[in-house]
Amino acid sequence: MNKFKYSIILLVIISSLVITACATGDLETPNMEITVSDYEAPSELETKEPIGDQSRFLIKADPELMEPVTVLYEAFFNGKSPIFVQSDPDLLVEPPGEYENFYDELPAVFLTDGAMYPKNVSEELEAFIQFAVSTDGQQTLIKAGLLPESIELTDQAGNTVSLNLPIRDVLSAYGPVTAMIYSVDAEDRLVSASYLGARDPLGSSVMEKMDSRFPGIQGDESFSQSEFNIEEAAMLEPDLIIGNARSGWLDTVAALDIPVFLFDAETPKALKEAVLLTGQIFGPHSTAQAEAWVRYYESIVGTIEEKMAEIPIEDRVKVLFTGTEPLRVASGDMFQSYIIESAGGISASSELEGYWNNINLEQVVIWNPDVIIVPPYGGASVEAITESQEWQILDAVKDGKVYRMPKLVAPWDTPAPDAVLGIIWMAQQLYPERIDLDCSTEAEFFYNTFFDYEIMDEELAKICSIN
Amino acid sequence: MKSLQKSAASIKEKHSIQKAYLFLILIGLPLGLLILSLTLGRYQIGPIDVLKVILSPIFPSIAEGIPDIAKQLIFHIRLPRILAALLIGASYGATGTAFQAIFKNPLVDSNILGVTSGAGFGAALALLFLGDPWLVQVSAFVFGLVAVFLSFFGSRLYRTSPLLILTLMGILVGSFFGSLTSLLKYAADPLDSLPAITFWLLGSLTGITWQNLMPLIILTIFGLIYLWTIRWRLNILSLGDAEASALGVDPTRMKLGIILFSTLMTAVAVSVSGVIGWVGLVIPHAGRLIVGPEHKRLLPVSISFGAAFLMIIDDLARTLLPGEIPLGVLTGLIGVPILVLLMRRSRTGW
Repeated sequence: MNKFKYSIILLVIISSLVITACATGDLETPNMEITVSDYEAPSELETKEPIGDQSRFLIKADPELMEPVTVLYEAFFNGKSPIFVQSDPDLLVEPPGEYENFYDELPAVFLTDGAMYPKNVSEELEAFIQFAVSTDGQQTLIKAGLLPESIELTDQAGNTVSLNLPIRDVLSAYGPVTAMIYSVDAEDRLVSASYLGARDPLGSSVMEKMDSRFPGIQGDESFSQSEFNIEEAAMLEPDLIIGNARSGWLDTVAALDIPVFLFDAETPKALKEAVLLTGQIFGPHSTAQAEAWVRYYESIVGTIEEKMAEIPIEDRVKVLFTGTEPLRVASGDMFQSYIIESAGGISASSELEGYWNNINLEQVVIWNPDVIIVPPYGGASVEAITESQEWQILDAVKDGKVYRMPKLVAPWDTPAPDAVLGIIWMAQQLYPERIDLDCSTEAEFFYNTFFDYEIMDEELAKICSIN
Repeated sequence: MKSLQKSAASIKEKHSIQKAYLFLILIGLPLGLLILSLTLGRYQIGPIDVLKVILSPIFPSIAEGIPDIAKQLIFHIRLPRILAALLIGASYGATGTAFQAIFKNPLVDSNILGVTSGAGFGAALALLFLGDPWLVQVSAFVFGLVAVFLSFFGSRLYRTSPLLILTLMGILVGSFFGSLTSLLKYAADPLDSLPAITFWLLGSLTGITWQNLMPLIILTIFGLIYLWTIRWRLNILSLGDAEASALGVDPTRMKLGIILFSTLMTAVAVSVSGVIGWVGLVIPHAGRLIVGPEHKRLLPVSISFGAAFLMIIDDLARTLLPGEIPLGVLTGLIGVPILVLLMRRSRTGW
C-alpha cells in the first residue's frame, strides 16, 4: 500500500521536474531580462562543448564586484564577456554579509571582497567557480590589478614575511597548520606536508577519502617540528615553507632563500590568529573561509559561556587531562587546559607549567578531579586508568568518569581547527543537562563546511559516542 | 701474661659493644627513614595518623575515623614506592661495593658491564612499540641481562688480562646500547614516546605498584643474602687472583657468582626505576670513610646507607613540586658534590 503511495508521489515529482525543465527551456526566447542575446539555457549545456564560444550562465553582481567577475569570466571563457542580469541569476555575487547563523547558508566561495552564491549549479558554473578561487584565478585578478602582487604579514614568531602572490606551492612542516590549510580550502597548494593524526587507521582512511593526493604528499619522514630535509625541500621548490616557531631547524632553512612563515598557536587567541594568517597567505577565498571558522569558533564558545554564566565557579566540573601515560598530565600552559576552560570546566592541573608534566598519584588525589580525559593518541587508553588497582581511590574512576577525547584526523585536543569540536564534546561530557550542543550534528557540519568532507555514519558513531 | 689476656678480652668486649651500636644504627637508619617517609607526601596526613594506619593491620580498631583515602594512599601508593627506594638503594650500595672489590677499582659500580645501557635500550624499545608498563619492565630487565652477557662472553674471546678486557667490553657494549637507544629516541614521536623515553632514562619511581615491586623484592633479597654470606671473601678478591687462589678461594668462580647476582639485582632495579646513577659509586666511598675498607663491615654499611640515601632522594623527588623531579637528576646533583667532598677528606685506603 505504502509502496503505491510513494510511487505516485515520485511520479508527481518527476513530472513536475520535466515540466520545469521544459519551462526553463522556453527562457531562450529573447523577451526575458537577458541583456546579451547569446545566452543559452542550462539544459543544453550538458553536452560538453568546448569552452569559450558562448556565455554559459547569468550573473547578478553588486556593481563594485562586476569588474573582478568580468576579469575572471573573460579569462576563463577566452575573452567572452559575462551576462549580468537583474533577477533570476545562476550566480549571485555580493559583498560578504553579516552571518549571524552559521547553519543557514554559507556562500560557496569568495573572491576579493565578495561572496559568490551559486543558485543553479551546473558543470560549467562549477568549473568557473573552481577557477575563480584557484591560484590561476588569483593570478588573473593580480594581473588585472585587483589583488596585490605581494603582501607583508607578521608571523607568530614576530617576523615580517613578504610574500609574492599567489602562493602556488607550499611546504608545511607543522601538522596543526596542515589541518588549517585544509580548513581554508588551500590543500591543493601543498607540495609536501607533515600531518597530525593521519597515521592511525581512522585518520589515514579519512585523509585518503578527503584528498586524492594523500598519502603521496605526506612528508612526515622529511619534514616535522624536529626535522627538515633541506635537499628534499630544495627539490620541491616551494614558494613558502611553514613551520613551528620552536622548530629545531630554523637556522639551516635560511640557506634555501625561500620565505619561512612560523606559527605558534598554544592559546585560543593564537589559534584564531593562526587560522586567519593561514587564510591571508592563500588569498581572499581562504581568508573568508578562515573568518568563517573564527566566527564558528566564537559562536560555540559564546554559547557555552552564556550557559555557564548560571553555574557558580564552585559547582563547575574539575577535569584532569592526562597524557600518553596516566601519570603524565597537561600543564596549565597547554592547549588542553584552554579547551577545558572553554568547555566550562576547571583544569585540575593548571598550576603546572611547561609541557606534559610527570606527576605521582598522590598529587592526583589532592586535585581530586571529577572527570579524567585521556588523549586520542600515543597508545593512551581509558583502561590503563580504570583497570588499575591504584587508581580506584579516585572518585572520577569510581564513578566511571574517565573518557577518551575523540579525533577524526587531527586530535581534538590539539591547536588545530578541529579543537572547536573538542570544546563541544568536552562541554557535552561535563554538562550533559545544560549544554544542548550535539557532537554528531556539529561534527557533521564542521567537516562538511571546513573540510568538504561528508563524514560517514560509522565514523560519527566512532567519534561522538562516549568512548 | 694474664693482664694481656684480660686486656684482650676487654678489647673484644668493647668491640662487640661497638658492633652492637653499629648494627643498631645500620638497622635503625633505614627503618626510621622508612617510617618518616611514609608520613611525607603532597597529601597531608598527620604523622600520628600515619602510625595508626601502619599499625591498623595488627590492631584494626586503632585507625577508626581516618579517611579511607589516607589508608589507600599509605598502603598502595607510598609504601610500595618507599620500599622500592629502600631496596634499590640497598641493592646499588651492595653491588657497587662488590664490584669495586672484584674490579679492584674505586671508580666502578654495577653498571660497568653495560646493564643500565642494555636496560635503557630495552625500555625505550618497549615504550616505542608496546607502551604497557609491565612489558617495559620485562623488556628492560631482559636487555639488561643481554648486555652483561655480551660483555662477559665478549671478554672470553681474549685470554689476556681478563679484568681489563671485561671492563673494556663493558664500556663497548654500554656505548653500543647507548647508541641504539639514541637511534630509538631519534625515531620516536617527539610529542608522544620521546618524552616517555627521556623520563624513563632519567629515573623515577612514579608509577610503582605492588605488582612491579614483586620481582624487585624477590631478586634483591636473594642477591643481598648472597652478597652478605660471601662478604668476607671480597677482602680476599680485592687482593688479586694469585693471593686469592693461595688462600683457597677460586677467584674465577667467585667473580662469576658475584657478577651474576649483582647483574640480576641491578637489572631488576633498573627495570623498575629507570636509570638512577651515582648511588653505587658514592655509597661505598661514604661507607669506607666511616668503617674503613674491610668488607665484612663495609657491605652492611653500604646496604644501609644506600637504602637511606635513595629514600631521602625519593622523598625530595615526590614532595618538592607538584610535578615529579627525575631521580637520576637528584642523585647526580646531590651525589656528585658528596663524592667530591669525600674524596678530599678521605684518608682511608680503598
